Amino acid sequence: MAYQIKKITVVIAVSQVLTRLGIKTFLSVIGIEPEYKELAHLDELDSVIPAGAKSYLIIEQSLLVKPESEYLKNISRKYGKSKILIIGNRVIENCPCSHFVLNSDNRQEILEKFQDFFSERDDTSTVNGAEDILSDRETEVLKEVARGLANKEIADKLYISINTVITHRKNITEKLGVKTVSALTVYALMNKLITPEEAIK
Amino acid sequence: MSKYTLFSAQMKMADIVYHNYLLIPVLGRFGIKYGFRNKTVEEVCRQYNINTWFFLEIVNAYHNRDYFPTEKLRDFSFSDIIAYLVNTHRYFQKVKIPEIQVFIDELMNSAPEENSKNIKLLDDFFKKYVEEIDLHFSHEEDDVFPYIEQIGQAIDSGNVAEELIERIINEPIEEYERQHDNLEIKLNDLKNLIIKYLPPHDNVELVQKLLMELFRVEIDLNDHSRIEEKVLVPKVKSFEQSILKKSGVSN
Repeated sequence: MAYQIKKITVVIAVSQVLTRLGIKTFLSVIGIEPEYKELAHLDELDSVIPAGAKSYLIIEQSLLVKPESEYLKNISRKYGKSKILIIGNRVIENCPCSHFVLNSDNRQEILEKFQDFFSERDDTSTVNGAEDILSDRETEVLKEVARGLANKEIADKLYISINTVITHRKNITEKLGVKTVSALTVYALMNKLITPEEAIK
Repeated sequence: MSKYTLFSAQMKMADIVYHNYLLIPVLGRFGIKYGFRNKTVEEVCRQYNINTWFFLEIVNAYHNRDYFPTEKLRDFSFSDIIAYLVNTHRYFQKVKIPEIQVFIDELMNSAPEENSKNIKLLDDFFKKYVEEIDLHFSHEEDDVFPYIEQIGQAIDSGNVAEELIERIINEPIEEYERQHDNLEIKLNDLKNLIIKYLPPHDNVELVQKLLMELFRVEIDLNDHSRIEEKVLVPKVKSFEQSILKKSGVSN
């Protein structure tokens, strides 16, 4: 079961083609292969950001409408799930975003800042590691286990063989590090995979 | 000194504690108090009326997982070992479990509502676990240990009751040997749920205390199981066999 990285969207709002190309080169160096949306100004931001999805916005400072911090606050309110990185000459005061790549940065500094931007844990999101760790099929099986179904019942319900159920359960236990049905149920409830009413009493 | 160190009767009692501080509660279960100056293990045991060989068995088995009691060292009575095991049960039930419960309660009360629900789940899990432990302990104390005492008395007196022979045939000590597994797995699950999946709690200090306590209890429980499985059960098995032989029952 390969570890699936979700396809991410990176919006590059930068006026110069040369700079946009440079950014893409840096991102491929740190192993990011996103879907790119390129803009030369910010007017079209609405049309490229997928609604409700999380995207990474890389914005050139000179494109921002003054006062910059107010303008950025609006953007981050509007696209709450997105993260913003600014490229410019200086760090903007009272700004809702904390990622800045400066024109004076050297190669190493830029690399580190991009890495930080893409790897930083999102602390606003709810705890929901399940999709990251378990495959969809494993999550399905886990839900049924937490609902109290026996292997045979799970096999019938999901149209798979008992052996497949057992294999899934083995993988689930290995990935999560919990073995007992009651602990798997706690995990499923914590991650809101099932409702308390559904859980085994 | 390493984990393979064998504690001996002539060693200083204080050195045992310096060597492995996790033995502190074990000494406590024997009722040994501190301030033993430079007395040897043997001297301290004599002072407290403890069978020195038995004490050494216990601390060696606790200290080194791979330690296997030799025939020579199995020279102590069942009542010694059962008294020690019952003491251990009480220590879990009266001291450890309530301590852990207090930590869980505090965590629950000091968390914002959303996370409090998650801790409530852990609390339910722990309470169910404690029920299982209580059940397991009372099964041992009400059924298994009395049976072992009977075996011991039969060997000492040479009188074997008919019922005892029947029980040896139908329900030998082996039957109860592997019941600990589940208790250990559950405890491990609880640790992992807290370490990996409980959303971060602001009171890190408290979470740390709880985790440290769970790790220590786990060591204690594993040791408890090992003593039952490596020291007690083999001895009971050999007694069972010799009773059957004497009674002319082949098996």
